[in-house]
Amino acid sequence: MEGKNILGIETSCDETSVAIVRNGNQILSNIISSQMELHRKYGGVVPEIASRQHMKYILITCQAALKQAMVSLSDIDGIAVVNGPGLKGSLLVGLSFAKALALVMNKPLIGINHIEGHIFANFLNIQEIKTPFISLIVSGGHTSLILVKKIGQYQILGNTRDDAAGEVFDKIAKYLGLEYPGGPIIEKLALTGKKDAIHFPRPLTKTSNLDFSFSGLKTAVIYFVKKKKEIKESLQLEDICASFQQAVIDTLVHKTLSAAHRYNIHRIVIGGGVAANESLRKKLLEIGRKYHLSVYFPPKELCTDNAGMIAAAGYFKLINGMTDSFYLDVFTE
Amino acid sequence: MITLGIDTATDIFNLAIIENGKMIVDYRMQKAGMTHSAVIIPALKNLIDFTGLELNKLTGIAVSVGPGSFTGLRIGLATAKGLAFSLSIPIIGVNTLESYALDRKDLPGILCPMMKARKGEYYFTLYRKENHYNDLIRIEDYQCKSWLSIKEKLLKLDQPVYILGYGLMEAIGNLKSNHSLSHIHFLIKEQDPPGAVNIALMGEKRILSKQTDDIFELSPFYICKSAAEIKNETRIN
Repeated sequence: MEGKNILGIETSCDETSVAIVRNGNQILSNIISSQMELHRKYGGVVPEIASRQHMKYILITCQAALKQAMVSLSDIDGIAVVNGPGLKGSLLVGLSFAKALALVMNKPLIGINHIEGHIFANFLNIQEIKTPFISLIVSGGHTSLILVKKIGQYQILGNTRDDAAGEVFDKIAKYLGLEYPGGPIIEKLALTGKKDAIHFPRPLTKTSNLDFSFSGLKTAVIYFVKKKKEIKESLQLEDICASFQQAVIDTLVHKTLSAAHRYNIHRIVIGGGVAANESLRKKLLEIGRKYHLSVYFPPKELCTDNAGMIAAAGYFKLINGMTDSFYLDVFTE
Repeated sequence: MITLGIDTATDIFNLAIIENGKMIVDYRMQKAGMTHSAVIIPALKNLIDFTGLELNKLTGIAVSVGPGSFTGLRIGLATAKGLAFSLSIPIIGVNTLESYALDRKDLPGILCPMMKARKGEYYFTLYRKENHYNDLIRIEDYQCKSWLSIKEKLLKLDQPVYILGYGLMEAIGNLKSNHSLSHIHFLIKEQDPPGAVNIALMGEKRILSKQTDDIFELSPFYICKSAAEIKNETRIN
Protein backbone atom coordinates (compact mmCIF):
# COMPACT_ATOMS: atom_id res chain seq x y z
CA MET A 1 0.00 0.00 0.00
CA GLU A 2 1.29 3.46 -0.96
CA GLY A 3 2.13 6.01 1.67
CA LYS A 4 1.97 6.16 5.44
CA ASN A 5 -1.24 5.43 7.33
CA ILE A 6 -1.67 7.03 10.73
CA LEU A 7 -4.33 5.93 13.18
CA GLY A 8 -5.50 8.93 15.22
CA ILE A 9 -7.34 8.81 18.55
CA GLU A 10 -9.16 11.73 20.18
CA THR A 11 -10.86 11.42 23.61
CA SER A 12 -10.03 14.74 25.24
CA CYS A 13 -13.56 15.97 25.85
CA ASP A 14 -16.98 14.73 24.72
CA GLU A 15 -16.26 13.09 21.36
CA THR A 16 -14.81 9.60 21.03
CA SER A 17 -13.11 9.65 17.66
CA VAL A 18 -10.79 7.36 15.71
CA ALA A 19 -9.51 8.12 12.21
CA ILE A 20 -7.17 6.70 9.60
CA VAL A 21 -5.35 9.32 7.52
CA ARG A 22 -2.89 8.60 4.71
CA ASN A 23 0.10 10.86 4.16
CA GLY A 24 -1.25 13.53 6.47
CA ASN A 25 -4.00 14.73 4.15
CA GLN A 26 -6.06 11.87 2.80
CA ILE A 27 -8.88 10.89 5.15
CA LEU A 28 -9.62 7.18 4.82
CA SER A 29 -12.02 7.29 7.75
CA ASN A 30 -12.91 9.69 10.54
CA ILE A 31 -15.44 8.17 12.93
CA ILE A 32 -16.88 10.43 15.62
CA SER A 33 -19.10 9.19 18.41
CA SER A 34 -20.53 12.31 20.01
CA GLN A 35 -21.81 12.44 23.58
CA MET A 36 -23.38 15.88 23.20
CA GLU A 37 -26.96 14.66 23.73
CA LEU A 38 -25.96 12.92 26.94
CA HIS A 39 -24.43 16.06 28.44
CA ARG A 40 -27.18 18.39 27.25
CA LYS A 41 -29.39 17.87 30.30
CA TYR A 42 -26.49 18.91 32.55
CA GLY A 43 -25.87 22.07 30.47
CA GLY A 44 -22.23 21.10 29.93
CA VAL A 45 -19.79 18.21 29.88
CA VAL A 46 -19.74 16.07 33.05
CA PRO A 47 -16.22 14.57 33.35
CA GLU A 48 -17.10 11.19 34.90
CA ILE A 49 -19.94 10.60 32.43
CA ALA A 50 -17.61 11.55 29.55
CA SER A 51 -14.94 9.08 30.72
CA ARG A 52 -17.48 6.28 30.96
CA GLN A 53 -18.72 6.97 27.43
CA HIS A 54 -15.18 6.96 26.01
CA MET A 55 -14.56 3.58 27.65
CA LYS A 56 -17.79 2.24 26.17
CA TYR A 57 -17.12 3.44 22.62
CA ILE A 58 -13.34 3.47 22.09
CA LEU A 59 -12.99 -0.03 20.66
CA ILE A 60 -16.13 -0.03 18.52
CA THR A 61 -15.10 3.37 17.10
CA CYS A 62 -11.63 2.04 16.34
CA GLN A 63 -13.02 -1.03 14.63
CA ALA A 64 -15.40 1.11 12.56
CA ALA A 65 -12.52 3.39 11.49
CA LEU A 66 -10.42 0.43 10.32
CA LYS A 67 -13.36 -1.11 8.51
CA GLN A 68 -14.37 2.08 6.71
CA ALA A 69 -10.75 2.76 5.72
CA MET A 70 -10.51 -0.85 4.52
CA VAL A 71 -7.19 -1.34 6.27
CA SER A 72 -6.08 -3.68 9.03
CA LEU A 73 -3.91 -2.79 12.01
CA SER A 74 -0.88 -4.19 10.23
CA ASP A 75 -1.29 -1.46 7.57
CA ILE A 76 -0.86 1.27 10.22
CA ASP A 77 2.50 3.08 10.41
CA GLY A 78 1.97 5.06 13.60
CA ILE A 79 -0.51 5.73 16.41
CA ALA A 80 -1.26 9.40 17.13
CA VAL A 81 -3.18 10.21 20.31
CA VAL A 82 -4.22 13.36 22.14
CA ASN A 83 -2.57 13.45 25.57
CA GLY A 84 -3.79 16.92 26.58
CA PRO A 85 -5.10 19.42 27.32
CA GLY A 86 -8.48 18.01 28.22
CA LEU A 87 -10.37 16.02 30.85
CA LYS A 88 -7.94 13.70 32.63
CA GLY A 89 -10.17 10.64 32.90
CA SER A 90 -11.20 10.96 29.25
CA LEU A 91 -7.67 11.44 27.95
CA LEU A 92 -6.51 8.36 29.90
CA VAL A 93 -8.92 6.06 28.04
CA GLY A 94 -7.56 7.09 24.63
CA LEU A 95 -3.93 7.12 25.71
CA SER A 96 -4.06 3.70 27.45
CA PHE A 97 -5.72 2.14 24.41
CA ALA A 98 -3.29 3.82 21.98
CA LYS A 99 -0.22 2.63 23.88
CA ALA A 100 -1.43 -0.97 23.87
CA LEU A 101 -1.92 -0.84 20.08
CA ALA A 102 1.49 0.76 19.53
CA LEU A 103 3.22 -1.84 21.71
CA VAL A 104 1.64 -4.85 20.02
CA MET A 105 1.98 -3.50 16.47
CA ASN A 106 5.51 -2.28 17.25
CA LYS A 107 4.72 1.14 15.75
CA PRO A 108 5.66 4.63 16.90
CA LEU A 109 3.47 6.42 19.44
CA ILE A 110 2.94 10.12 18.72
CA GLY A 111 1.43 12.31 21.45
CA ILE A 112 -0.55 15.25 20.07
CA ASN A 113 -1.55 18.42 21.86
CA HIS A 114 -5.26 18.93 21.25
CA ILE A 115 -4.71 22.55 20.12
CA GLU A 116 -1.94 21.40 17.79
CA GLY A 117 -4.48 18.94 16.34
CA HIS A 118 -6.87 21.78 15.47
CA ILE A 119 -4.11 23.49 13.47
CA PHE A 120 -3.55 20.34 11.40
CA ALA A 121 -7.25 20.04 10.55
CA ASN A 122 -6.22 22.56 7.87
CA PHE A 123 -3.80 20.09 6.31
CA LEU A 124 -6.53 17.57 5.55
CA ASN A 125 -7.64 17.37 1.94
CA ILE A 126 -5.28 20.15 0.79
CA GLN A 127 -1.60 20.61 0.14
CA GLU A 128 0.72 21.24 3.04
CA ILE A 129 0.62 24.82 4.35
CA LYS A 130 4.07 26.38 4.42
CA THR A 131 5.52 27.50 7.73
CA PRO A 132 5.79 29.96 9.37
CA PHE A 133 2.18 30.90 9.97
CA ILE A 134 -0.02 32.42 12.66
CA SER A 135 -2.72 30.14 13.99
CA LEU A 136 -5.88 31.19 15.80
CA ILE A 137 -7.54 28.30 17.63
CA VAL A 138 -11.00 29.13 18.98
CA SER A 139 -13.32 26.63 20.63
CA GLY A 140 -15.37 26.00 23.74
CA GLY A 141 -12.21 25.24 25.66
CA HIS A 142 -9.50 27.34 24.02
CA THR A 143 -8.74 30.74 22.55
CA SER A 144 -5.09 30.82 21.53
CA LEU A 145 -2.86 32.65 19.09
CA ILE A 146 0.12 30.56 18.11
CA LEU A 147 3.15 31.27 15.97
CA VAL A 148 3.96 28.05 14.13
CA LYS A 149 7.64 28.40 13.22
CA LYS A 150 8.03 24.86 11.93
CA ILE A 151 6.08 21.63 12.27
CA GLY A 152 6.17 20.85 15.98
CA GLN A 153 7.75 24.18 16.90
CA TYR A 154 5.24 26.53 18.43
CA GLN A 155 5.28 29.84 20.27
CA ILE A 156 2.14 30.77 22.17
CA LEU A 157 1.51 34.47 21.50
CA GLY A 158 -1.69 34.85 23.44
CA ASN A 159 -4.34 32.94 25.38
CA THR A 160 -7.62 33.81 26.95
CA ARG A 161 -7.29 35.04 30.50
CA ASP A 162 -10.74 33.81 31.47
CA ASP A 163 -13.52 32.30 29.33
CA ALA A 164 -12.81 30.78 25.92
CA ALA A 165 -14.69 32.37 23.00
CA GLY A 166 -16.90 29.32 22.45
CA GLU A 167 -17.58 29.13 26.16
CA VAL A 168 -19.00 32.68 26.11
CA PHE A 169 -21.30 31.71 23.24
CA ASP A 170 -22.56 28.81 25.42
CA LYS A 171 -22.98 30.96 28.50
CA ILE A 172 -24.80 33.77 26.71
CA ALA A 173 -27.07 31.22 25.02
CA LYS A 174 -27.84 29.66 28.39
CA TYR A 175 -28.60 33.09 29.87
CA LEU A 176 -30.91 33.92 26.97
CA GLY A 177 -32.68 30.59 27.46
CA LEU A 178 -31.34 29.15 24.20
CA GLU A 179 -30.06 25.64 23.60
CA TYR A 180 -26.68 24.05 24.34
CA PRO A 181 -24.28 24.33 22.56
CA GLY A 182 -24.75 28.05 22.05
CA GLY A 183 -22.56 28.73 19.03
CA PRO A 184 -24.75 27.45 16.18
CA ILE A 185 -27.99 28.85 17.64
CA ILE A 186 -26.57 32.34 18.25
CA GLU A 187 -25.10 32.32 14.76
CA LYS A 188 -28.50 31.43 13.32
CA LEU A 189 -30.36 34.15 15.21
CA ALA A 190 -27.64 36.68 14.36
CA LEU A 191 -28.37 36.19 10.66
CA THR A 192 -31.54 38.29 10.91
CA GLY A 193 -30.25 40.74 13.53
CA LYS A 194 -28.41 44.04 13.24
CA LYS A 195 -24.79 43.65 14.21
CA ASP A 196 -24.42 47.35 15.06
CA ALA A 197 -27.65 47.59 17.07
CA ILE A 198 -25.85 47.52 20.41
CA HIS A 199 -22.24 48.39 21.00
CA PHE A 200 -20.72 45.74 23.24
CA PRO A 201 -17.06 46.05 24.35
CA ARG A 202 -14.17 44.58 22.33
CA PRO A 203 -12.04 43.45 25.29
CA LEU A 204 -8.26 44.06 25.33
CA THR A 205 -8.22 45.45 21.79
CA LYS A 206 -6.61 48.66 23.01
CA THR A 207 -3.66 46.91 24.64
CA SER A 208 -0.57 45.77 22.80
CA ASN A 209 -0.47 42.22 24.19
CA LEU A 210 -2.10 39.37 22.31
CA ASP A 211 -4.13 37.88 25.15
CA PHE A 212 -7.90 37.60 25.07
CA SER A 213 -10.52 38.17 27.75
CA PHE A 214 -14.20 37.49 27.22
CA SER A 215 -15.76 37.52 30.68
CA GLY A 216 -16.19 41.32 30.58
CA LEU A 217 -18.09 41.04 27.30
CA LYS A 218 -20.24 38.31 28.81
CA THR A 219 -21.07 40.54 31.78
CA ALA A 220 -21.87 43.46 29.46
CA VAL A 221 -24.37 41.37 27.48
CA ILE A 222 -26.02 40.01 30.61
CA TYR A 223 -26.18 43.50 32.17
CA PHE A 224 -27.74 44.90 29.00
CA VAL A 225 -30.46 42.23 28.94
CA LYS A 226 -31.16 42.64 32.65
CA LYS A 227 -31.55 46.39 32.30
CA LYS A 228 -33.89 46.05 29.35
CA LYS A 229 -36.02 43.64 31.32
CA GLU A 230 -36.14 45.97 34.33
CA ILE A 231 -37.51 48.85 32.29
CA LYS A 232 -39.76 46.36 30.53
CA GLU A 233 -38.44 47.33 27.16
CA SER A 234 -38.81 44.71 24.47
CA LEU A 235 -35.75 42.72 23.51
CA GLN A 236 -34.66 42.05 19.97
CA LEU A 237 -33.01 38.68 20.53
CA GLU A 238 -31.64 38.66 16.99
CA ASP A 239 -30.01 42.07 17.49
CA ILE A 240 -28.42 41.01 20.77
CA CYS A 241 -27.04 37.85 19.15
CA ALA A 242 -25.74 39.72 16.09
CA SER A 243 -24.14 42.49 18.15
CA PHE A 244 -22.59 40.07 20.62
CA GLN A 245 -21.25 37.82 17.85
CA GLN A 246 -19.76 40.84 16.09
CA ALA A 247 -17.96 41.91 19.28
CA VAL A 248 -16.35 38.46 19.55
CA ILE A 249 -15.42 38.39 15.85
CA ASP A 250 -13.95 41.90 15.88
CA THR A 251 -11.83 41.01 18.90
CA LEU A 252 -10.55 37.77 17.35
CA VAL A 253 -9.80 39.41 14.02
CA HIS A 254 -8.09 42.43 15.60
CA LYS A 255 -5.74 40.27 17.67
CA THR A 256 -4.96 37.90 14.79
CA LEU A 257 -4.14 40.81 12.53
CA SER A 258 -1.93 42.39 15.21
CA ALA A 259 -0.03 39.12 15.55
CA ALA A 260 0.48 38.82 11.78
CA HIS A 261 1.79 42.40 11.58
CA ARG A 262 4.03 42.11 14.61
CA TYR A 263 5.74 38.91 13.43
CA ASN A 264 5.56 39.87 9.75
CA ILE A 265 3.69 36.69 8.79
CA HIS A 266 1.45 36.41 5.74
CA ARG A 267 -0.35 33.16 6.43
CA ILE A 268 -3.24 32.80 8.89
CA VAL A 269 -4.55 29.38 9.86
CA ILE A 270 -7.81 29.08 11.82
CA GLY A 271 -9.17 26.10 13.72
CA GLY A 272 -11.48 24.94 16.52
CA GLY A 273 -15.27 24.80 16.82
CA VAL A 274 -15.79 28.58 16.55
CA ALA A 275 -13.89 28.53 13.22
CA ALA A 276 -17.08 27.02 11.76
CA ASN A 277 -18.81 30.39 12.33
CA GLU A 278 -19.63 31.75 8.87
CA SER A 279 -19.39 35.43 9.84
CA LEU A 280 -15.94 34.91 11.34
CA ARG A 281 -14.79 33.14 8.18
CA LYS A 282 -16.16 35.92 5.96
CA LYS A 283 -14.60 38.67 8.04
CA LEU A 284 -11.18 36.98 8.05
CA LEU A 285 -11.25 36.43 4.29
CA GLU A 286 -12.17 40.09 3.83
CA ILE A 287 -9.26 41.18 6.04
CA GLY A 288 -7.00 38.73 4.18
CA ARG A 289 -7.81 40.35 0.85
CA LYS A 290 -7.30 43.83 2.30
CA TYR A 291 -3.90 43.10 3.86
CA HIS A 292 -2.66 40.46 1.37
CA LEU A 293 -2.74 37.56 3.80
CA SER A 294 -3.51 33.95 2.91
CA VAL A 295 -6.28 32.74 5.21
CA TYR A 296 -6.95 29.01 5.73
CA PHE A 297 -9.92 27.28 7.37
CA PRO A 298 -10.68 23.60 7.72
CA PRO A 299 -13.98 22.43 6.20
CA LYS A 300 -16.71 23.07 8.79
CA GLU A 301 -17.09 19.41 9.75
CA LEU A 302 -13.39 19.30 10.65
CA CYS A 303 -13.57 22.35 12.94
CA THR A 304 -15.06 20.41 15.84
CA ASP A 305 -13.08 17.74 17.68
CA ASN A 306 -12.19 14.79 15.45
CA ALA A 307 -9.40 12.25 15.21
CA GLY A 308 -8.66 13.04 11.55
CA MET A 309 -6.84 16.19 12.56
CA ILE A 310 -4.93 14.23 15.22
CA ALA A 311 -3.81 11.67 12.65
CA ALA A 312 -2.76 14.50 10.29
CA ALA A 313 -0.68 16.10 13.05
CA GLY A 314 0.74 12.66 13.84
CA TYR A 315 1.88 12.15 10.27
CA PHE A 316 3.74 15.46 10.09
CA LYS A 317 5.38 14.91 13.47
CA LEU A 318 6.34 11.34 12.54
CA ILE A 319 8.07 12.34 9.31
CA ASN A 320 9.90 15.03 11.28
CA GLY A 321 11.10 12.41 13.77
CA MET A 322 8.93 13.59 16.66
CA THR A 323 7.67 10.46 18.38
CA ASP A 324 7.11 9.68 22.07
CA SER A 325 8.15 7.00 24.51
CA PHE A 326 5.68 4.63 26.16
CA TYR A 327 6.03 6.71 29.34
CA LEU A 328 3.89 9.43 27.74
CA ASP A 329 1.34 10.73 30.24
CA VAL A 330 -1.70 13.00 30.05
CA PHE A 331 -1.84 16.67 31.03
CA THR A 332 -4.95 18.70 31.75
CA GLU A 333 -3.98 22.26 30.88
CA MET B 1 -1.30 -21.28 27.60
CA ILE B 2 0.06 -17.95 28.78
CA THR B 3 -2.22 -15.37 30.40
CA LEU B 4 -1.50 -11.76 31.32
CA GLY B 5 -3.28 -10.46 34.41
CA ILE B 6 -3.84 -6.72 34.87
CA ASP B 7 -4.96 -5.16 38.14
CA THR B 8 -5.18 -1.38 38.37
CA ALA B 9 -8.30 -1.25 40.55
CA THR B 10 -6.46 0.22 43.55
CA ASP B 11 -3.41 2.43 44.04
CA ILE B 12 -1.25 -0.69 43.70
CA PHE B 13 -0.23 -1.25 40.12
CA ASN B 14 0.01 -4.98 39.41
CA LEU B 15 0.80 -7.05 36.32
CA ALA B 16 1.29 -10.82 36.32
CA ILE B 17 1.97 -13.47 33.73
CA ILE B 18 1.03 -17.10 34.35
CA GLU B 19 1.65 -20.17 32.26
CA ASN B 20 -0.71 -23.13 32.69
CA GLY B 21 -1.59 -22.17 36.25
CA LYS B 22 1.98 -21.36 37.31
CA MET B 23 3.17 -17.85 38.06
CA ILE B 24 6.01 -16.64 35.85
CA VAL B 25 6.10 -13.05 37.01
CA ASP B 26 4.22 -10.91 39.52
CA TYR B 27 5.14 -7.23 39.31
CA ARG B 28 3.62 -4.71 41.66
CA MET B 29 4.30 -1.14 42.62
CA GLN B 30 2.66 1.27 45.03
CA LYS B 31 1.55 4.33 43.09
CA ALA B 32 4.30 6.89 43.46
CA GLY B 33 5.13 9.73 41.10
CA MET B 34 3.75 8.28 37.92
CA THR B 35 0.19 7.30 37.11
CA HIS B 36 -0.81 3.74 36.28
CA SER B 37 -1.32 4.86 32.69
CA ALA B 38 2.25 6.14 32.36
CA VAL B 39 3.84 2.92 33.66
CA ILE B 40 1.58 0.12 32.48
CA ILE B 41 2.94 -0.30 28.95
CA PRO B 42 6.63 0.35 29.80
CA ALA B 43 6.28 -2.19 32.64
CA LEU B 44 4.68 -4.76 30.36
CA LYS B 45 7.41 -4.23 27.78
CA ASN B 46 10.08 -4.81 30.43
CA LEU B 47 8.38 -7.94 31.78
CA ILE B 48 8.18 -9.38 28.30
CA ASP B 49 11.88 -8.65 27.80
CA PHE B 50 12.92 -10.05 31.21
CA THR B 51 10.99 -13.26 30.85
CA GLY B 52 12.08 -13.84 27.27
CA LEU B 53 8.44 -14.24 26.27
CA GLU B 54 7.02 -12.72 23.15
CA LEU B 55 3.84 -10.71 23.17
CA ASN B 56 2.30 -12.83 20.45
CA LYS B 57 2.74 -15.92 22.64
CA LEU B 58 0.08 -14.56 25.01
CA THR B 59 -3.15 -16.56 24.78
CA GLY B 60 -5.42 -14.38 26.92
CA ILE B 61 -5.74 -11.08 28.77
CA ALA B 62 -7.46 -11.08 32.17
CA VAL B 63 -8.27 -7.75 33.80
CA SER B 64 -9.88 -6.71 37.05
CA VAL B 65 -12.99 -4.79 36.02
CA GLY B 66 -14.01 -3.58 39.44
CA PRO B 67 -15.24 -2.45 41.72
CA GLY B 68 -12.37 -0.07 42.32
CA SER B 69 -11.00 3.32 41.38
CA PHE B 70 -13.01 4.49 38.35
CA THR B 71 -9.99 5.92 36.56
CA GLY B 72 -7.80 2.94 37.49
CA LEU B 73 -10.37 0.50 36.11
CA ARG B 74 -10.56 2.38 32.82
CA ILE B 75 -6.77 2.47 32.44
CA GLY B 76 -6.64 -1.30 32.98
CA LEU B 77 -9.57 -2.11 30.72
CA ALA B 78 -8.59 0.28 27.88
CA THR B 79 -5.11 -1.25 27.92
CA ALA B 80 -6.48 -4.79 28.07
CA LYS B 81 -8.85 -4.11 25.16
CA GLY B 82 -6.05 -2.59 23.08
CA LEU B 83 -3.86 -5.63 23.73
CA ALA B 84 -6.53 -8.28 23.18
CA PHE B 85 -7.86 -6.54 20.06
CA SER B 86 -4.49 -6.15 18.38
CA LEU B 87 -3.31 -9.63 19.39
CA SER B 88 -6.70 -11.18 18.48
CA ILE B 89 -6.85 -13.14 21.74
CA PRO B 90 -9.64 -13.57 24.32
CA ILE B 91 -10.29 -11.03 27.07
CA ILE B 92 -11.68 -11.91 30.48
CA GLY B 93 -13.07 -9.38 32.94
CA VAL B 94 -12.71 -10.51 36.54
CA ASN B 95 -14.65 -9.04 39.44
CA THR B 96 -12.16 -7.60 41.93
CA LEU B 97 -14.13 -8.70 45.01
CA GLU B 98 -14.51 -12.24 43.65
CA SER B 99 -10.76 -12.41 43.09
CA TYR B 100 -10.24 -11.48 46.76
CA ALA B 101 -12.64 -14.19 47.93
CA LEU B 102 -11.15 -16.91 45.75
CA ASP B 103 -7.79 -16.13 47.30
CA ARG B 104 -8.97 -17.57 50.64
CA LYS B 105 -11.67 -20.09 49.89
CA ASP B 106 -9.87 -22.49 52.23
CA LEU B 107 -11.29 -20.60 55.23
CA PRO B 108 -14.35 -21.84 57.14
CA GLY B 109 -17.44 -19.63 57.46
CA ILE B 110 -18.46 -16.63 55.43
CA LEU B 111 -16.10 -14.59 53.29
CA CYS B 112 -16.55 -10.85 53.06
CA PRO B 113 -14.30 -9.30 50.39
CA MET B 114 -14.19 -5.56 50.84
CA MET B 115 -12.33 -2.57 49.47
CA LYS B 116 -12.26 1.09 50.21
CA ALA B 117 -14.47 3.24 47.98
CA ARG B 118 -15.01 6.98 48.28
CA LYS B 119 -16.51 9.15 51.02
CA GLY B 120 -15.97 6.64 53.81
CA GLU B 121 -17.78 3.87 51.95
CA TYR B 122 -16.66 0.37 51.05
CA TYR B 123 -17.41 -2.01 48.20
CA PHE B 124 -18.33 -5.41 49.57
CA THR B 125 -20.25 -8.63 49.16
CA LEU B 126 -20.62 -11.94 51.03
CA TYR B 127 -19.88 -15.53 49.99
CA ARG B 128 -20.87 -18.80 51.61
CA LYS B 129 -19.14 -22.11 50.99
CA GLU B 130 -21.14 -24.80 49.27
CA ASN B 131 -20.30 -28.54 48.99
CA HIS B 132 -16.95 -30.17 49.76
CA TYR B 133 -15.25 -28.50 46.79
CA ASN B 134 -15.60 -25.23 48.70
CA ASP B 135 -17.39 -23.61 45.76
CA LEU B 136 -18.36 -20.07 46.63
CA ILE B 137 -21.98 -18.97 46.50
CA ARG B 138 -22.54 -15.23 46.61
CA ILE B 139 -25.27 -14.41 49.15
CA GLU B 140 -25.33 -10.61 48.81
CA ASP B 141 -25.38 -8.15 45.92
CA TYR B 142 -22.20 -6.28 45.14
CA GLN B 143 -22.71 -3.06 47.08
CA CYS B 144 -21.15 0.18 48.18
CA LYS B 145 -22.04 1.03 51.80
CA SER B 146 -20.72 2.77 54.90
CA TRP B 147 -18.77 0.64 57.35
CA LEU B 148 -21.55 1.20 59.87
CA SER B 149 -24.19 -0.47 57.71
CA ILE B 150 -21.83 -3.27 56.65
CA LYS B 151 -21.09 -3.91 60.33
CA GLU B 152 -24.81 -4.14 61.10
CA LYS B 153 -25.22 -6.75 58.40
CA LEU B 154 -22.25 -8.78 59.64
CA LEU B 155 -23.57 -8.64 63.20
CA LYS B 156 -26.64 -10.64 62.18
CA LEU B 157 -24.58 -13.51 60.79
CA ASP B 158 -24.28 -16.59 62.99
CA GLN B 159 -21.04 -17.86 61.51
CA PRO B 160 -17.46 -16.61 61.61
CA VAL B 161 -16.92 -13.90 59.01
CA TYR B 162 -13.58 -13.32 57.32
CA ILE B 163 -13.02 -9.89 55.86
CA LEU B 164 -10.53 -9.85 53.01
CA GLY B 165 -9.46 -6.91 50.94
CA TYR B 166 -7.60 -3.69 50.64
CA GLY B 167 -7.70 -0.16 52.04
CA LEU B 168 -9.41 -1.24 55.26
CA MET B 169 -7.21 0.23 58.01
CA GLU B 170 -9.90 2.65 59.21
CA ALA B 171 -12.51 -0.07 59.39
CA ILE B 172 -10.14 -2.29 61.40
CA GLY B 173 -9.46 0.52 63.84
CA ASN B 174 -13.16 0.99 64.35
CA LEU B 175 -13.82 -2.73 64.85
CA LYS B 176 -11.13 -3.18 67.51
CA SER B 177 -13.01 -0.84 69.80
CA ASN B 178 -16.17 -2.92 69.48
CA HIS B 179 -16.17 -6.21 71.43
CA SER B 180 -19.59 -7.42 70.36
CA LEU B 181 -18.18 -8.31 66.94
CA SER B 182 -15.82 -11.09 68.06
CA HIS B 183 -16.91 -13.46 65.27
CA ILE B 184 -15.57 -11.02 62.66
CA HIS B 185 -11.97 -11.48 61.58
CA PHE B 186 -9.87 -9.27 59.38
CA LEU B 187 -7.48 -11.22 57.18
CA ILE B 188 -6.09 -8.41 55.17
CA LYS B 189 -2.64 -8.01 53.74
CA GLU B 190 -2.39 -4.28 53.20
CA GLN B 191 1.10 -4.52 51.75
CA ASP B 192 0.34 -7.56 49.69
CA PRO B 193 -3.32 -7.78 48.64
CA PRO B 194 -4.44 -10.43 46.17
CA GLY B 195 -4.11 -9.06 42.68
CA ALA B 196 -3.05 -9.78 39.14
CA VAL B 197 -1.92 -13.39 39.73
CA ASN B 198 -5.40 -14.31 40.97
CA ILE B 199 -6.95 -12.34 38.14
CA ALA B 200 -4.83 -14.23 35.61
CA LEU B 201 -5.59 -17.62 37.22
CA MET B 202 -9.30 -16.94 37.08
CA GLY B 203 -8.90 -15.76 33.50
CA GLU B 204 -7.15 -18.97 32.54
CA LYS B 205 -9.96 -21.06 34.05
CA ARG B 206 -12.54 -19.09 32.12
CA ILE B 207 -10.63 -19.51 28.86
CA LEU B 208 -10.53 -23.28 29.45
CA SER B 209 -14.27 -23.36 30.15
CA LYS B 210 -14.88 -21.08 27.14
CA GLN B 211 -16.43 -18.34 29.28
CA THR B 212 -14.52 -15.40 27.90
CA ASP B 213 -16.06 -11.93 27.47
CA ASP B 214 -17.23 -10.00 24.43
CA ILE B 215 -14.42 -7.51 23.91
CA PHE B 216 -16.80 -4.80 22.67
CA GLU B 217 -19.31 -5.20 25.49
CA LEU B 218 -16.94 -5.64 28.44
CA SER B 219 -17.23 -2.60 30.74
CA PRO B 220 -15.94 -1.56 34.14
CA PHE B 221 -18.12 -2.71 37.03
CA TYR B 222 -18.56 0.68 38.69
CA ILE B 223 -21.39 -0.23 41.14
CA CYS B 224 -21.84 3.50 41.90
CA LYS B 225 -23.33 5.97 39.47
CA SER B 226 -21.42 9.17 38.86
CA ALA B 227 -22.13 12.02 41.29
CA ALA B 228 -23.75 14.11 38.52
CA GLU B 229 -26.18 11.32 37.58
CA ILE B 230 -27.23 10.85 41.20
CA LYS B 231 -27.72 14.60 41.61
CA ASN B 232 -29.74 14.81 38.40
CA GLU B 233 -32.01 11.92 39.42
CA THR B 234 -32.63 13.45 42.84
CA ARG B 235 -33.55 16.70 41.15
CA ILE B 236 -36.05 14.98 38.82
CA ASN B 237 -37.63 13.01 41.68
